[in-house]
Amino acid sequence: MAATQQEARSCARTPKRTNMASFNSNEWRAICDKFTNAQNLTEIESRNDPENDPFRSKYKARELLREIYCSLKNFEAGEGEEEGGGESGDQRPTEQPVDGQREDLFGQGFSGDSPAGLRAAKLGAVEYYLGVNHVDTEELPAGQEHLMNCMKLLERCRVSSLNVSLFIHVRNQLGILWAGRDETETAQGFLETAESIYQRYMKEDGSPPTDMTEYFAAEESLLTHQERIKRFELAYTHTMYYLAQVYKNLGQTERAATYCHTTLQRQLQLNQFTPMEWALNAATLSQYYITKGRYMEGRHCLSAATVISDLAGEVPSEAAAQENEAESERREHLRQKRAEIARCWIKYCLNLLQDAKKQLEDNIGELDTDRQEELKRARRREEEEEEKGRKSALLFGSEDTFDSIASIEEKVMCLFPLDFTEARSVFLVGQNHVTQAKDYFQMDGYVTDHIEILQDHSALFRSLAFFEEDLERRCKMHKRRVDMLEPICNDLNAQYYLMIRRQLMFELAETYNEMMDLKLALANRQADTQSLDNHTIKKFNHLCSASAKYFQMFLDSLCSPEGKFPERLEEEVLRPALVARFRVARLHSRLISTSPTVQLDNLNKSLENYKYVVQYCEANPEAGATVETELELSKEMAGLLPLKINRLKARMASNN
Amino acid sequence: DPEEKILQYKIRVFCRIRPASRAEAAQGGAIVVEKIDEYSVTVETPRGPREFQFDKVFSAEASQEDLFHDTSLIQLAIDGYNVCVFAYGQTGSGKTFTMVGDKEQKNPGIIPRAFNAMFDIMRENSSKFSFKVSAYMLELYNDRLQDLFASQAGEAHVHTQSHGQARRVEIKRNRKGVVFAQGAETKEASSAQELYALFQQACANRHISATMNVESSRSHLIVGIMLESRNLTNGSVSSGKLSLVDLAGSERAAKTGAKDHQLKEANSINKSLSALGDVISALSAELPHVPYRNSKLTQYATRVKAITNNAQRNVESKEIAQLKEVIMKLRSGQSVEEEDV
Repeated sequence: MAATQQEARSCARTPKRTNMASFNSNEWRAICDKFTNAQNLTEIESRNDPENDPFRSKYKARELLREIYCSLKNFEAGEGEEEGGGESGDQRPTEQPVDGQREDLFGQGFSGDSPAGLRAAKLGAVEYYLGVNHVDTEELPAGQEHLMNCMKLLERCRVSSLNVSLFIHVRNQLGILWAGRDETETAQGFLETAESIYQRYMKEDGSPPTDMTEYFAAEESLLTHQERIKRFELAYTHTMYYLAQVYKNLGQTERAATYCHTTLQRQLQLNQFTPMEWALNAATLSQYYITKGRYMEGRHCLSAATVISDLAGEVPSEAAAQENEAESERREHLRQKRAEIARCWIKYCLNLLQDAKKQLEDNIGELDTDRQEELKRARRREEEEEEKGRKSALLFGSEDTFDSIASIEEKVMCLFPLDFTEARSVFLVGQNHVTQAKDYFQMDGYVTDHIEILQDHSALFRSLAFFEEDLERRCKMHKRRVDMLEPICNDLNAQYYLMIRRQLMFELAETYNEMMDLKLALANRQADTQSLDNHTIKKFNHLCSASAKYFQMFLDSLCSPEGKFPERLEEEVLRPALVARFRVARLHSRLISTSPTVQLDNLNKSLENYKYVVQYCEANPEAGATVETELELSKEMAGLLPLKINRLKARMASNN
Repeated sequence: DPEEKILQYKIRVFCRIRPASRAEAAQGGAIVVEKIDEYSVTVETPRGPREFQFDKVFSAEASQEDLFHDTSLIQLAIDGYNVCVFAYGQTGSGKTFTMVGDKEQKNPGIIPRAFNAMFDIMRENSSKFSFKVSAYMLELYNDRLQDLFASQAGEAHVHTQSHGQARRVEIKRNRKGVVFAQGAETKEASSAQELYALFQQACANRHISATMNVESSRSHLIVGIMLESRNLTNGSVSSGKLSLVDLAGSERAAKTGAKDHQLKEANSINKSLSALGDVISALSAELPHVPYRNSKLTQYATRVKAITNNAQRNVESKEIAQLKEVIMKLRSGQSVEEEDV
């Protein structure tokens, strides 16, 4: 309340004008100059304000704005009844600052273009700038007051090309203000109104709207149509941007994502963006789409990201980087960001393959050929839909970039790959990006990033293997995974990289297990009889032991420094630890040996581990829920194995 | 018990009270901090007295020697552990005095004392161990690390093109878990004097920067001493590190900070919608990859990754299916001999 009262008082002190016809050109010029000064102080001078007096220029600007306000007010006061029962600046809005009656803004009130409308707009603009000024200097109540005054002034006018920009700007600011007070719904109200005002204006009128700075500009300084449109569209882009934030705060993530997408789109269309920043944002948005399974949108975002990131320019050569620190930084920056985008692509390919696998697998994780047929049939229908979907979906780009974006999209699928050929094409795209990402994220310097990329590469192989029919080739893919991850696992410092090593151990254990089963399947295929040759047995045992070794290594990593296995397992490791025990048990019972002593030893180890699972779940009942099936089977085996062991012992005794 | 000893030294916070300066005493300023006992101080605040607890409190009368005596972590560093000492406080509170001492070195601080203690201990053990001492010295300001051993560290800011190598220094950790300053020069020293001379050279370079519109009160000084000791009997080598840090003044900036739900505005100067990335990153807690290095979401510690990919339980693994078959056979009394396959 204080701020505007102060203004009213100071205006009253200024002598009233007697001749109310108009400002003479000198007076008007003075007002315009003051306005230009105020803008200059706010936007340019303020950057040089010292740390201990950070708002110096803005306070000066405020004085100027107040003077302009007074001049306008005095002029208006003299006009008297023409205003239709003019509301003096002293009346304060006492109701809740809610933004209502959107439709009325276009219907009721003075024409925006009438003299009264113009006066309201000018005064409103000054209130607006005062409002922003107070908000900038952290005086929110005063800021709110001015902004609401602006709203009140505009309320009496119809929306027109003369004032629509102000209509939108003031609501943007009120949105920001209320969001800052955690009144997100109030903020939402203002911003959504701004949105609908824009949409209706563009539909019903659409002519280049007057920019607020033009209210106090000389004839020669009026903006071109192009510039007006640009500034107006920028204001609306901000509305979209603020709404994205509001919807995110309200937890309406899908809507927030749509508004983020729109904001990005508009930035490109209006050429108001920094290439690398835009590219990273689009790449991140693609990741959101991936979590929702919307691969078409995801692919579009990534393709746009790739194209736009190229606009950021050439990477300076190593030589240039050595010479000059600025070049060195630029090289670093560009290479890093492009590598990050590559990683987003890797995730796209990987997730697409994994989701396709989920669609195609049967109840034991193998490719179900019936499902495959079914999905192939369904897809022919889907492809037609895709074309239509495209047009309605939000496309990125401008004249220059539409084609380049499309050409990148053509290189990778966005529908689920349904056979090996398709899966392989997706895999290769992913692999290319792995190479690109690894080039920057090298091991020494980016340990965790490098390893995550390798893990993704391994996962790409794993997904591809699912589609591969030839068992020999499938096995080779798993071997690639082992070759990639095994050296790293053994090389990493055990203390600092505990989490990562555990992940690698588990993955290696499972991969060796896969290879073991494949070797067996191959051997059984080749021979009709059950018996296996020595070579195969040796290979099988090697893979079996390796698998058990890594599961055991994982379990050992849970031990204390003295080597003691924990009494109670922590939540993050509970299921993996019990599963590891279960698998070790199973693996030991599968080892092939002709020596009864060795067989006995293996069976005992197997039993020991099955028993552990049973006993742990007895002592910790909640644990059972995490490993239901494994527990059930462990109980069975714990009951059945002793019989087998005894039979073996009996045979050993009788043979002696 | 060595493990207990280490636990004891995990993180300790000491409080040192500076005596009033002559100027302050002359102005008749009130002393608002008082040591109550070895572990607590009381501070007079506008809202009344408040008590604070520390691992140890040093009053204004405590000497540099007193302080160093209690921070004898040098032996630990030689034994192969990483030890770090920070000095934190407002500008003028006496951090540099504590860490470095006075200019004439009549009252040397922790750093020179540490150097001496280091070489004394090494000399005492020279029959059993051989030692190697090397150091890097860095300055951190405006989020950038400068190598203080680089000869033209300060001048680089005067001339638009720097002389010779102008490399960025970055802190990295290699696969062995060793943290190193990539791009920074390390120099060896064979005596406390040599090491101190290196330190003085580094500080001199720091002061050059101080004249270039960057107050030294805004920069952090980081001294890293690597100690490698080789057991002459069995040849084993251990590496420890002593990090000594003189932090910049901790006083706050003029403006208040931004609140959580505050909308990030479009910067009117360059119209960039800088917070758009934050909004997008926050759309889901499970984004496969987040390409922002500084985002909280990418910090390793907060990434909770599942160890096993066996997330889906509705798909039985082959393993389980096979085992079920085996169990059926065992139960039905079929003798399944050698392979359970």
